[in-house]
Amino acid sequence: MTKHNPAYRAYYRRLGISSVLYVAAVFAASSLLHHRAPLSVFAVGVALVPGIAVSLMVFAFARLFVELDDEYLRLLEVRKALVATALTLAGCSVWGLLEIFTAVPPLPVFWVFPLWCMGLFAGTLFNRVTLGTGGCM
Amino acid sequence: MNNRLKVLRAERNWSQQDLADRLGVSRQSVNAIETGKYDPSLPLAFTIARLFGLSIEAIFQPE
Repeated sequence: MTKHNPAYRAYYRRLGISSVLYVAAVFAASSLLHHRAPLSVFAVGVALVPGIAVSLMVFAFARLFVELDDEYLRLLEVRKALVATALTLAGCSVWGLLEIFTAVPPLPVFWVFPLWCMGLFAGTLFNRVTLGTGGCM
Repeated sequence: MNNRLKVLRAERNWSQQDLADRLGVSRQSVNAIETGKYDPSLPLAFTIARLFGLSIEAIFQPE
């Protein structure tokens, strides 16, 4: 039922579409704009498109929580997201303090979402360690 | 929470997937409930009790 659950199908479809849009938008922005292009409506518009794609990915996660009708699978997904959020919040806050008080290189805010996605893998591992292999992906 | 789900399922010769299909949940849910890793919500507990024709207390007991 996990693979065939309509909520997962919709989730993967939304994630796939937004990922393709994201990659295309990043390539388009890279070719159309120089790094730190002067502020203009065109530059902001082009630079915002990848952000819209990221927002669509966040929307896909949110819809999964709403549409998943299996309470145990929903629990697993929420736990994954909580682990990812905790790791991202802690990691970014710690790095931010290091940036203020030491000479570590600044972490672009761009990395927050990819870090959160990596945190989902940590959440999957957490589920597997605490709930075993019966606890899906 | 302890439960007799595995015994009740075995008495009927159902696989975890069979029970999951009857309950409208995933096999992982049945596995997690049987192994005590997850306590079902009240609506799901009622559905399980109704399926086996028993009361909730006859299936789930506090530890």
